[in-house]
Amino acid sequence: MKKMWTIAVNTFRESMRKKTLYIILIFALIVIGASKLFSFLTAEEELKMIKDVSFSAIEFFGALIAIFASITAISTEIERRTIYTLLTKPIRRSDFVLGKFFGVSLIIFVNFILTTLFFIGLLLFKKSIPDIEVFKTLLLIFFELILIGGITLALGTFTTDAFNIICSFFLYIVGHLTSYGKEMIERTENIVVAGLADMLYTLVPNYENFNIRDKIVVGISVSWGYVGYTILYGILYTCIVLLIALYFFQKREI
Amino acid sequence: MRRKGYRYLISIVVLFVGVHLVQVQIDYRKKIENLESNLLLMPGQIAGSLVLGGFKGLAADLLWLNMEEYWHKGQHYKILPLLEAIAWLQPSYILVWTVGGWHMAYNIYAEVKTPEEKQYWYQQGIEFLKKGLAYPFNANKYDIYFELGWTYYHKGKDYPNAVKYLEKAVKYPHPEYVDDVLAHAYEKNGQIDKAIKQWEFIRDNYVSFFDIATRMIHDLKTKGKATP
Repeated sequence: MKKMWTIAVNTFRESMRKKTLYIILIFALIVIGASKLFSFLTAEEELKMIKDVSFSAIEFFGALIAIFASITAISTEIERRTIYTLLTKPIRRSDFVLGKFFGVSLIIFVNFILTTLFFIGLLLFKKSIPDIEVFKTLLLIFFELILIGGITLALGTFTTDAFNIICSFFLYIVGHLTSYGKEMIERTENIVVAGLADMLYTLVPNYENFNIRDKIVVGISVSWGYVGYTILYGILYTCIVLLIALYFFQKREI
Repeated sequence: MRRKGYRYLISIVVLFVGVHLVQVQIDYRKKIENLESNLLLMPGQIAGSLVLGGFKGLAADLLWLNMEEYWHKGQHYKILPLLEAIAWLQPSYILVWTVGGWHMAYNIYAEVKTPEEKQYWYQQGIEFLKKGLAYPFNANKYDIYFELGWTYYHKGKDYPNAVKYLEKAVKYPHPEYVDDVLAHAYEKNGQIDKAIKQWEFIRDNYVSFFDIATRMIHDLKTKGKATP
């Protein structure tokens, strides 16, 4: 556990040295801050737009940070050959992969907290006290980002960086469309096709589960039951991708 | 290693079964809580690509800003497809329905010349508002009912329908003026007793309406008419 934590902290420190992540974070803050420019609208419209833009920015730039931080987490160690030194020490490969995952999660968490605080500050500046629904949305965005980070890390154990970026973005888009796929499955009469499609529906990460912001910004409440199940979904899926990462990293010849 | 591989595989399969069961629960909750998304076939490249990424709200906001621009330029007809698009992207955004209905029944109504055209746009406004009520989360708020009631009352002079929708509006949390309009609608609809009762309710519950409610009750009781 201690070794895992040391690797996590080192991963975090190393990422903090990269300019890319700072640039993405600055972009996120600029976009969130820019939502204040909608002051020519009515108060209700402006508040909706601030929330829409901010939630989207926290998620989108958070996803970028999750992807870029995860991609480099393992591949950099291999490129620099530091991994050879690491693995000659009494460190299990599973400790290494999990340490990397927790390190990436720490980066995601810090970025998430910074952008969230900025967003909350903006709301308070507009004299709007964020309600519990805002926090439910943010909570789900956070778990989505952790899942994105986990998937990218898992892909990084058996693919190249370039392929990983393409795959991660592809999954990000497809993962937001799976709900529409469900609608089509329900309309399919062929049992085989429906069964296969249903299996695919389970296999592809359903990022749309985490997306409640469109409802929250217009005043619809989401139950804690829904939030709880979605978090559980995120945790289970993250466990799966970590197992995949562990399997491929164990098999990898280093 | 091979044995370990099987262990990984079995664990992954078991976890996927868990994921599937949780997904079933999530889908069920999405249905009962009206959290499902519409199948989107949006025109427009920017909006389309944003929708792909799950940024429907943002796409709706961009269209809304476009709408504002047309509004200030007085291009009232160009607003219509945008209203439809925003309503499609975010049907739970009540403002799009109320603004849309009002825009058709009032602004375009004022712009067209013939009585037939005016009647057409009045009806379009009404239909647009009713379409908004088709979404359960909108049907549980006063906003669209009030807008319908007001449009029937003020623009259409259709008092039975005005009463019908205003009575629905007051069932949900609402501002004080909704009760006020309902009282006027009762009177115009010939339901004087109900109008008096409504004014009495307003007098007893809303301090700011006390004077006007007292006068209305007096006029209704003495002259049988209060609204000019």
